[in-house]
Amino acid sequence: MSVVWTQVALAGLWGGLVALERKAFLQAMMSRPLVAATVMGALLDDVASGLAIGMLLELFFLGTANLGAALPENDTLAATGTSAAAATLSAATGAGSTPAIWSIAVLLFIGLGRVGRKGDRLLEGYTARLARVALASAEAGNITRAMRQNLWGMWPHFAVYGTLTALCALLGFFIEPLLQALPPVVVRGLAWAWPAMASVAAAIAAQGSHARRAPLFAGLGAAVVTASVVCVLLLEDR
Amino acid sequence: MSAPPAALPFGVLLRVFLRSLFLQASWNPKGMQNLGLAYAVYPALAALYPQGPAREEAVRRHLVFFNTHPYVAAAIVGGVINHEERIARGEETPDKVVAFKAALMGPLAALGDGFFWLSLKPATGAVSAALVPLLGVWAVPLFLVLYNLVHLLLRVRLYWLGLTLGDRLVEAVARANLPARGARLRAVAAASAGGVAAWLAVSFGANAGGLYAPLLAAGCLALGVASYVLVSRRVPNYVVLYVAAGLACVAGAFL
Repeated sequence: MSVVWTQVALAGLWGGLVALERKAFLQAMMSRPLVAATVMGALLDDVASGLAIGMLLELFFLGTANLGAALPENDTLAATGTSAAAATLSAATGAGSTPAIWSIAVLLFIGLGRVGRKGDRLLEGYTARLARVALASAEAGNITRAMRQNLWGMWPHFAVYGTLTALCALLGFFIEPLLQALPPVVVRGLAWAWPAMASVAAAIAAQGSHARRAPLFAGLGAAVVTASVVCVLLLEDR
Repeated sequence: MSAPPAALPFGVLLRVFLRSLFLQASWNPKGMQNLGLAYAVYPALAALYPQGPAREEAVRRHLVFFNTHPYVAAAIVGGVINHEERIARGEETPDKVVAFKAALMGPLAALGDGFFWLSLKPATGAVSAALVPLLGVWAVPLFLVLYNLVHLLLRVRLYWLGLTLGDRLVEAVARANLPARGARLRAVAAASAGGVAAWLAVSFGANAGGLYAPLLAAGCLALGVASYVLVSRRVPNYVVLYVAAGLACVAGAFL
């Protein structure tokens, strides 16, 4: 096993940038799992892993929302960490990305969403201090210093979540020997776990869509797609 | 003391809009978006008030508690500038702008949360995720374009409404009928999620099943339905995901 440090650094950089975009600047959805994970995959030369993990996590976290002072799980950290680990794990195996690798990465790293929520809560202590400094500066007539405090609130998100994502990328290299030690039946089981988890994520997405008659609409969508796919498969068999 | 400008230059208005994109940079539990709001409107305050006590007082009245949806905040930022222009001209008292913010931030937050966070985001996310099997990686730019076409256009429009209409922006926002549009988007999200679940089940059966293909596809679909029921009954999402992965692992290992 050899660690590719440029991949670790790229993962950290992208992880930090999307953490900023999620919370502090613009919020144009670059930080959504589908985007953040796919770009991570592209940066680490494994688009397939990034896209597959991004799709699953997009569905899994579809219903989360930052309402008022409530903090949702940090879906961005879960996406960047999981996709970075999957990409470096598949790079370390040298055999390309597989559903078994995606399953391992998701099972090991999806909990980062909760870690990120704790991190967000801790960082609020820092921004509370910035707010106190800004108010004191405004009272003292130092308006420029008061205004500057707003921008200081951004760097911890970049540093903390960038570091965590880089660590996930690093861990991907170290997990590779464990994957090699797994018996083939377990690897086959992990490959089957992938569509099962994606199905669960889609069901969670339907439930989290907040639609009034979500089961009806989800059932309609499922019926249309099933009928279409079966028709296509039957036509291909002819 | 020089008189305030009759109207703020376009450059200042643009700077305010761009700085409003940093509204949540220092979100804090006590004042929430207060630092972000003061930071956003500062170029306008600097143009309207001379350096000294008047400008300091203007900044201080925007460092009080403020929290709303970050996109629809553009309307309030525009409205604040509209009010500050009138305050600088002596046409109204400073308490008007404070009352304007206090009156609008709650209702606009509810409107923005309902439309953007709970409708547009799930709908574009689910549609794009559902299109991954067809479009591959192109589903990602599609997602960004679909979402940001609405997001950025509305953000600019709301800022302009706030700037030009001030207090009357409420009627203009009400005419946009966002709650009804949001309900339709949520239905699209649910249908797309159902569609992607079905695609995953059928393609899994077709790829892995051989003779058992219909059984495997039906099993995968049943797993999705069972997951929906469990999550609706408040079983944690993670528990459902790990149980499903465990079951599939066992099935994959022994079938």
